[in-house]
Amino acid sequence: IRIGDRKYHDGGTTGRWAGAREPPSDGISNLRFSNHSDHLLVSSWDKSVRLYDASANLLRGEFMHGGPVLDCCFHDDSSGFSASADNTVRRLVFNYGREDILGRHDAPVRCIEYSYATGQVITGSWDKTLKCWDPRGANGPDRSLVGTYTQPERVYSLSLVGNRLVVATAGRHVNVYDLRNMSQPEQRRESSLKYQTRCVRCYPNGTGYALSSVEGRVAMEFFDVSEAGQAKKYAFKCHRKSEAGRDIVYPVNAIAFHPIYGTFATGGCDGYVNVWDGNNKKRLYQYSKYPTSVAALSFSRDGRLLAVASSYTYEEGDKPHEPDGIFVRSVNEVEVKPKPKAYPNPTT
Amino acid sequence: NFSMSNLQNDPLLQVETTCGSLLYELQIIWDEVGESDAERDKMLLELEQECLEVYRRRVDQANRCRAQIRQAIAEAEAELAAICSAMGERPVHIRQSDQSPGSLKAELKTILPQLEEMRKRKCDRRNQFLEVFEQIQRIRSEIYTSTEYTPSNTAVDETDLSLRKLEELHRELHSLQKEKSDRLKQVLEHMNTLNSLCLVLGMDFKQTVNEVHPSLGESEGTKNISNDTIEQLAAAIQKWREVKLQRMQRLQDLATSMLELWNLMDTPVAEQQMFQNVTCNIAASEHEITEPNMLSVDFINYVEAEVSRLEELKASKMIELVLKKRSELEEICRKTHMIPESESAMEIAIAAIESGAVDPASVLEQIELQIAKVKEEALSRKEILEKVEKWMSSCEEECWLEEYNRDENRYNAGRGAHLILKRAEKARAMVNKLPALVEALASRTTAWEEERGIEFTYDGIRLLSMLEEYTILRQEKEEERKRQRDQKKLQGQIIAEQEALFGSKPSPMKNQSGKKGSRLSCGGASNRRLSLGGPMVQTPKPDILPSTKATPNARHVRKNDRLHQNDQLNHPRDDGVAALSAGRRGLDIAGLPAKKHSFNAVNAREAESAMMRKPFSPISSTDSSKSNATTILEDLNRKHEMLQKTLTNITTPLTTPSKVTSAADEENRTPKTMAIPLPSTPSTVSVAMQTAMTPAAPPVLYGAHPVEEIDEEIEYSFEERRAGFVLPKTHLKTMLQV
Repeated sequence: IRIGDRKYHDGGTTGRWAGAREPPSDGISNLRFSNHSDHLLVSSWDKSVRLYDASANLLRGEFMHGGPVLDCCFHDDSSGFSASADNTVRRLVFNYGREDILGRHDAPVRCIEYSYATGQVITGSWDKTLKCWDPRGANGPDRSLVGTYTQPERVYSLSLVGNRLVVATAGRHVNVYDLRNMSQPEQRRESSLKYQTRCVRCYPNGTGYALSSVEGRVAMEFFDVSEAGQAKKYAFKCHRKSEAGRDIVYPVNAIAFHPIYGTFATGGCDGYVNVWDGNNKKRLYQYSKYPTSVAALSFSRDGRLLAVASSYTYEEGDKPHEPDGIFVRSVNEVEVKPKPKAYPNPTT
Repeated sequence: NFSMSNLQNDPLLQVETTCGSLLYELQIIWDEVGESDAERDKMLLELEQECLEVYRRRVDQANRCRAQIRQAIAEAEAELAAICSAMGERPVHIRQSDQSPGSLKAELKTILPQLEEMRKRKCDRRNQFLEVFEQIQRIRSEIYTSTEYTPSNTAVDETDLSLRKLEELHRELHSLQKEKSDRLKQVLEHMNTLNSLCLVLGMDFKQTVNEVHPSLGESEGTKNISNDTIEQLAAAIQKWREVKLQRMQRLQDLATSMLELWNLMDTPVAEQQMFQNVTCNIAASEHEITEPNMLSVDFINYVEAEVSRLEELKASKMIELVLKKRSELEEICRKTHMIPESESAMEIAIAAIESGAVDPASVLEQIELQIAKVKEEALSRKEILEKVEKWMSSCEEECWLEEYNRDENRYNAGRGAHLILKRAEKARAMVNKLPALVEALASRTTAWEEERGIEFTYDGIRLLSMLEEYTILRQEKEEERKRQRDQKKLQGQIIAEQEALFGSKPSPMKNQSGKKGSRLSCGGASNRRLSLGGPMVQTPKPDILPSTKATPNARHVRKNDRLHQNDQLNHPRDDGVAALSAGRRGLDIAGLPAKKHSFNAVNAREAESAMMRKPFSPISSTDSSKSNATTILEDLNRKHEMLQKTLTNITTPLTTPSKVTSAADEENRTPKTMAIPLPSTPSTVSVAMQTAMTPAAPPVLYGAHPVEEIDEEIEYSFEERRAGFVLPKTHLKTMLQV
């Protein structure tokens, strides 16, 4: 489904494209599927957060903020949270269209996550702090703020798995926290990649995280600090194009893990979405090119749908670009299912 | 005077007077003349007779006149009566002689106006008749063509001008008028039918109608409604309907074949759309086809052309299909290592199809038959083939093991060494089972051959001969090994003797320093593995790393201390360690498909065979008794040794760090020929990740501005740039202080 466009795609096996009205009018900062339904929450630079029903292809609700919205996430199926460039963290109740401010950072809030393990909202901001919020005490900012944790640099990306929280910041810092003890990071790391971090996402099995950089590369990292554990880590190149003998390297904006198979999709400024099998180090699939940069990706709870935000990410500044769009495609098993190795490798 | 006046008033009296006076005068004359009395009497008689004659004539005249009048009256009366009877009226005037008004003249005078009146009425009536009659005639003449029209009732029957008759005529006229309108209706109906027929058949309606009767083609004016015309119209309708049926049949036949062809060739809907109006009529009955020009000659020709185009397409598709089936056959043959029928036979078949000499369907059928046959054979071969695969992989492992056994540093602990050890262990077990496997395979194959009476070939070579060769080779190797063992024993004796002489026992291990050797051999090993896939292009890699980025952290220092500190110092790359291991891993992965490939496509890639292991191919006459595999292995070993030598050559005069660097470089080098390019089209074929390090050419960072970043000292993400976010001065300071 392409939200915002009634264009049908006849491309056979690759999925269905339909359309709904009212896509965001400006760049899409993030989109996420609900853990309970096929609802899709979309935050945008047009200061809005929109809730779509991807299966019915409907716009369910819309919230307007004081500034561009840089991230959003679901709380449950009826409410969610948003991180805005106007420094606010908001709670959104879809049924009533109500929103209240959970609290504020000193700078734009870049990313937001909700932890089902602790029932807390975690936000990362360019004010170089991480804040945890209790959404239940949403009577005032003072009561909902649980703690503020200084980071070495501006927070660029967050990811959660179980009680683990991975914080990627500017300056290629990566802090790994245990949510049960936020007083200091469990691990302080530096990105294995030598360029700015774009996105970090934990493996669904909780053993590590994938980290992408602006230089067409993804590092596969493991929490286990033992030598054997670290031996497994590796990095690979992706989202590149060879042109006239020169490699053009695109930023990798988004990583999304398949909830069932543990394979993952990456989206880059080249407009491609690739699906990888991290265990077998294979690329499983490449979807046909999207009109512009892939800004965000999300698999639905059962992994049958993949939402793709095709939206210019300002990698080349303010310039004319293709219209932003949300594509929801149905995912074939063959595209995401790990393939057993064709040949037994005696060395692994 | 008085008498005179009387005389003057009465001419008769006057005439009498005149006669008397004339007689007197005559008497006087006669007296004078002296006429005799006889003469006088004679003359007077003559006079008397003359007078009588005149009177008689007058009476006759009067009598005649009376008779005439009487006749006139009688005639008038008769005429009157006739008129009355003709008009079916009671005679108005019945003569009653005693009632007669008097003189005949008066009678005549009374009867004449009546006659006149009746005559006038009769004339009027007659005109009425004539009018109706004329109309009847006209309609008759319209209905019946002149030839069949008999002018029987041309004239009006003067004797019967009664109102009843008039009514009768009127009725006739009405019925005729009705018939006329009926006929007109029928004609129009026919014309409508004909018109729709002509429309559908794409014919000129006017012309068709003109052929029947010129009056029909005109939009104005009366239409000919004669029987003849109607019959002709009906005939025309019949004729065109038959034509329509024929054409409809033709079109439906065409539509049927069109649908079949579409179905066969998966014609895109857009292309089908153009002929949707044809195919939707495939089951329509005659009256349902009403679309103009639907059955015109042009349209049918058009559809026919499309069908023949599709037929042609089908022919070419058939060839495609034949080729596809052929490749399927080849694929099966390839998979089961059989040799398919020769290519030329196929080409001949295709040429035959193209020339139309052979029905492609039959060729297709033949190929399918072949496929079925081959499949069946493949099934019977399956068990043996599985064993062959196992044998071959065992052989490969055997080769690897041999090579590994030759590596004197194999027990040096390095990363992943335990895995290699495991592999060696497995390989040894496998090699031990090899002779039994070969034997079982041979007996199986023999049984198979006996059962079928044909040779079991593997890629065209008889499997038994391959096995035989292998056994011979193995025996040779065994002998060689034995010889080596003897030699070693001999060497041992010599060393023992030397020891006896010099009192020291140099260990072969001490020839190379432990750590250095391990690293080198590791690099070498991966090189060796690499070169199996194809020639390696080694291009010098320019250093693209910004020096400002050199920020080694604690983790690196720790590792550097342990392993290759200098490497890190010379190459301040943050992901150096990861890349090192990843690099090796990547090479492994990259190497695999190539190896596999060499197994599957032995025939295909002759060019690569120089560097590629070509297992169990027939031994060429120029070769020695050793198999290609061993030759290549030897070759590789030579290379490896050379590499080691060159490395040592380079490193000897230099200090240790640079040596390690070059070794590391060796590992990180991108194997150009092996890199599998990302296909631009989506594919389900999984592709190995490019885990190797930076390529030779400096990559262009899309959108990211590393240079700018360095200049600014502070990096910003795209979002920060877009939001116009700038770090506050205080932050900047603290950051710089940090």
